[in-house]
Amino acid sequence: MLKIAFRNIFRQKRRTVLTALAMIVGFTLSSVFIGWSDGAYSDIISMFTRNRIGHIQVHRAGYLDKPSLYDVIDGYESIGEKIAGVEGVEAWAPRIYSAGLGSVGDKTMGVQIIGVDVGREVKATRFDRKITSGAIFSDIAAGESILGVGLASILKADVGGKIVLVTQGTDGAIANDLYRIIGIAESGDKATDRMACYLHINDAQDLLVLNGRVHEIVVIARALDRVPKITAAIEAQINDTALEVSPWQVVAKSFYRAMQADRQGDLIGRMIIMLIVAIGVLNTVLMSVLERTREYGVLKAMGTKPGQIFGVVVAEVTFIALGSIFIGALFGAGLNYLLSIYGISLPQEFSYGGIVFQTMYAAVTVRSLAIPAVTVLVSAILVSLFPALRAARIAPASAMRTH
Amino acid sequence: MAPVIVTEGVTRVYSDDGVPVHALRGIDLTIERGEFAALVGPSGSGKTTFLNVISGLDTPTDGKVWLNGKLLSRMSGNALSDFRRDNIGFVFQAYNLIPVLTVEENIEYIMLLQKIPKAERHERVLAILDEVGLGGMASRKPTQLSGGQQQRVAIARAMVSQPATIMADEPTANLDSKIGAELLDMMYRLNTQTGMTFIFSTHDPMVMARARRMITLKDGEIERDEVRSP
Repeated sequence: MLKIAFRNIFRQKRRTVLTALAMIVGFTLSSVFIGWSDGAYSDIISMFTRNRIGHIQVHRAGYLDKPSLYDVIDGYESIGEKIAGVEGVEAWAPRIYSAGLGSVGDKTMGVQIIGVDVGREVKATRFDRKITSGAIFSDIAAGESILGVGLASILKADVGGKIVLVTQGTDGAIANDLYRIIGIAESGDKATDRMACYLHINDAQDLLVLNGRVHEIVVIARALDRVPKITAAIEAQINDTALEVSPWQVVAKSFYRAMQADRQGDLIGRMIIMLIVAIGVLNTVLMSVLERTREYGVLKAMGTKPGQIFGVVVAEVTFIALGSIFIGALFGAGLNYLLSIYGISLPQEFSYGGIVFQTMYAAVTVRSLAIPAVTVLVSAILVSLFPALRAARIAPASAMRTH
Repeated sequence: MAPVIVTEGVTRVYSDDGVPVHALRGIDLTIERGEFAALVGPSGSGKTTFLNVISGLDTPTDGKVWLNGKLLSRMSGNALSDFRRDNIGFVFQAYNLIPVLTVEENIEYIMLLQKIPKAERHERVLAILDEVGLGGMASRKPTQLSGGQQQRVAIARAMVSQPATIMADEPTANLDSKIGAELLDMMYRLNTQTGMTFIFSTHDPMVMARARRMITLKDGEIERDEVRSP
């Protein structure tokens, strides 16, 4: 039976080539679609996490849902040492957050005070690369501040100027101080850059009366796909129910959900491609069954069971699908590889999750080959079921009267 | 002799655009083992329909058919397939060889369905090819053979599994008279040597001349049933 199915492929070479072409084009398009999407999202996630939120964050329980000045982490240095000991952790950095008012000259603006440990922040989020003018903090706190580029523009502030910050300390008193502006930073997220006023961690602790405590520990993992395992390992290592360890998907819930929704849109795109392919394949398979009606009648007359005839038709389509998947995989992987190296420059930059992109790159992933392979195979088999059923139900006497 | 085929009141009515066409009208017939019988009659008399019904390829509208003692109407689709595979060999007017298979593969097809071991299949194919005068052509494709050679392959395919009955529908219609006569002589010889039952549906006077029994159909009924001495 398999021999008949296999040799049938070569009977109408042009039809086989057309059927295979439909599958190959469908596979390749679908593969590039997924590779492109994987590459783009990988870049977006990498930029989003690496630049800003990190891969994992540690907070006091409940802080993520309702951030509060008073929800602080005690002894962050020892916790950080434990985190650094977890396999797969590349870097960690403590942070302090508070809202306040910033005044430069006669301009006042609501700001987000972000206290950073400069040495650790450079290792974790490449903070030094964000400085567009001026300098980065020195190791010792010296009453310095770095403003987000948007905030500097609104306050008409520049390097060398001074900013007065007014906020509330954890002791309940009004806290205020004057800081020299030593740099302007651009994080890539416009919303952050309109509000951010970075302080040396010790300056921020003094201002907010935090007594050596912080609000957040940001962790960078060596590989994005190992984040769930590393999150669990950090949880086990810290072993403190008062603290919450959250992967980036939890930290940036709305960003993650938007990305997942986008991916659902991709799925619909792929399904439309495969539907068009399936209709083309159905047409050619039906035609071939119609042409071989007499032959199927003869096979049945000789004692071939309906199930075996059914199998011949399905096997023929399956053989074509497997060949097409092989060729499509070569094309798909090749195109994705080229796009992963050269990318495509967009005529206009676009922003996703606050991060601006100018060139998009694809990625060669297992998904970009496995999903189209399964889709092509399953849709080809599904599409062949109806013609196969028709062939299996052929009445031999009437089939042999056809020409 | 034991009957191979027994029919009782076999009727077949087709619908032609809603108009009933009576192809067979209550045929009662018994064919004994080893017969070399011809179903004859004008076009539309019901020869091919009757051949299809008694071989289980078509279902009678009414009446019963026993083949080798089995009532065909009692059998399911798969059981009928197995029964045809093991009990009937078919020879068709248009040869109906499977074009993607070689001569050997065409002939061994039924044995494959019967799950006969490869070595035995090969041996039997070579033997039957010699029998039908096609030794050395096992690896050829049907398209590389003449019409007469293709019909010999079809006869070999029908006989190789040693069925009790061979049903031949106008087997000589597409052949010239010389080749047709050769094939008929061959089938006659095989019939006498092996005792296989041969039933022909035919217009061909050469077949009629060789048949030991001639059943004449007219308008779906048996007009004459004549047993002749060889």
